[in-house]
Amino acid sequence: MAAVAPARRTKRRSVPVGRILLLGFFLLFVLWPLYWMFNTSIKPSDDYLTVPPVWFPTAPTLVHYEAALFAYRGLDGLINSLIISLSATVLSALFGTLMAYSLARYNTGGQHLSFWVLSQRFLPPIGIVLPVFLIYRGVGLYDTHIGLIIAYTVFTLPVSVWMMFAYFRGMPKSMEEAALVDGCTRWEAFWRVAVPLAAPGIVAAAVFAFIACWTEFFFALILTSRTAFTLPTVFRAFIGFQGAQYGEAAALAIVSLVPSIALGVLAQRHLVRGLTLGAVRG
Amino acid sequence: MQYTATISRMKAAGAPPRLSGFAQWADRHFKWLLVAPAVLLILALSIYPLLFSLVVSFINYDFQVPGHAFVGLKNFERVVFDPVARWSLLLTAWLSGVSVAIEFVLGLLVALTMVRGFPGRGVIMSILIVPLFISPVIVGQAWTLLLQRPFGPTNYILTQLLGQEVTIGWMTEAPWLYASLIIADVWQWTPFMFVILLAGLTAIPPNLYEAAELDGVNAWQAFWAITLPHLAPMMLLALTFRLLDAIRMFDTIFIMTGGGPGTRTYTASYYLYTVGFTQFHLSQATAGSWLFLVFTALVVTLLVRRLLKAEPV
Repeated sequence: MAAVAPARRTKRRSVPVGRILLLGFFLLFVLWPLYWMFNTSIKPSDDYLTVPPVWFPTAPTLVHYEAALFAYRGLDGLINSLIISLSATVLSALFGTLMAYSLARYNTGGQHLSFWVLSQRFLPPIGIVLPVFLIYRGVGLYDTHIGLIIAYTVFTLPVSVWMMFAYFRGMPKSMEEAALVDGCTRWEAFWRVAVPLAAPGIVAAAVFAFIACWTEFFFALILTSRTAFTLPTVFRAFIGFQGAQYGEAAALAIVSLVPSIALGVLAQRHLVRGLTLGAVRG
Repeated sequence: MQYTATISRMKAAGAPPRLSGFAQWADRHFKWLLVAPAVLLILALSIYPLLFSLVVSFINYDFQVPGHAFVGLKNFERVVFDPVARWSLLLTAWLSGVSVAIEFVLGLLVALTMVRGFPGRGVIMSILIVPLFISPVIVGQAWTLLLQRPFGPTNYILTQLLGQEVTIGWMTEAPWLYASLIIADVWQWTPFMFVILLAGLTAIPPNLYEAAELDGVNAWQAFWAITLPHLAPMMLLALTFRLLDAIRMFDTIFIMTGGGPGTRTYTASYYLYTVGFTQFHLSQATAGSWLFLVFTALVVTLLVRRLLKAEPV
């Protein structure tokens, strides 16, 4: 096989110029805004409006990071984002795994229940957030960490449930059945046998839940104000600016995108399942 | 291997353990207890608010006016006959349609270049998916930095490339600001199409292409005869998922144009947000969001249900 194949291939394979150009162009398109944002974040304010623009800052500075984190309360937003995203992630992964196991192994509620959960994923947030805002004001959850944690848990549940649903369906039942035969309760078969085996799937689901919470803006915009505001909402301070805060906006963006990109790239093996709610195995 | 350890522990403990009354009850209703927390949470924070907003949309709900008088369909009428509402719905359909179409074509082209292995593919893959993990707010911010006059370098680059002075108001002038919003959306979501379509492409058995090659079929014919039919379900899935997210478009608009100039870049979500939270016509906003919800629900039931049902995994 191996001896025959190369001869065939080399005849047809010339340098694919079109492909390289397309891929190169697209890579540039992806990287360029990121580079410019980084460049802006370390550029002294004097370099903002020069013609031609300063492509490589010669005197990099961290003043914008300092201002973004402290003067614009970016650090408070960062801490709030961490608390809220981590809490919601844990709850979502936990409740999502519980429900997914029941759906996968006991077919609980048939297709109606699973599709009901799925449909929640496609509800436009504007339809939910208005009444939630009114309810939260009534019960004192407006602008609290708990309030946003609950909202984020619910908003990430459909993805957690469906990712884990697909994961459990792809896992052989035999070990849990053996455990049941040997006298385990259903809970033990789930908690001690199925959950450890599904750990990689649970971690992947949790990573995507975390990224979803970390990058979420709309709920945070409406359900928080001075206390529980998250990192993305801090960017409101830079809207309509006239030149003075470009660096601060860029610096805060860099701080905010590092954790979610790092996690996302680490979990990229599960990306296709995450994006399609488990419908497609990557 | 934990399961063997568990089982041997159970065996060592002797006969099946005696369960207390509660444990027996819990074991019998096990499957319902597992779904209970998630279902209760969704009921409390999604279904109850939806019902509540249905009530709100039939009454007068205003922070200034005490009492909630029943007003029938008045709130719905106000939305339906508001030209801004109609404009925003139209713009939502138009913007999301164009963005998703560009993302689809570009994503497919890039996926086709990445099907076969080559040195550096892993690194390139990791770079290409980065936009998916960035908050749309930051994406809007990044493109604002590139496009906004006089700071952004885009006009300067275009001037150099075209050899004539370019002074486009990317964030303020009518056709260009739509282009800006679409570019930001395309930048963030083309990787979505790319990742899903690539998964679909790599799942096509390579021997189909080898057989076609032996039969003297050229690459273009192979694409129409093999790639397209095999990829079709995946294309439909990617398009549906993306479209359902695209019609919510809000964050980039909030950051980049603020809906302006005037109401030129109002999308459905942005319109409902301003009605509810800057004008405080909460009843009108909930009525409008119910209309939008019904609209989305129709799309969901028509497309998503059928898509996922067929997939046994």
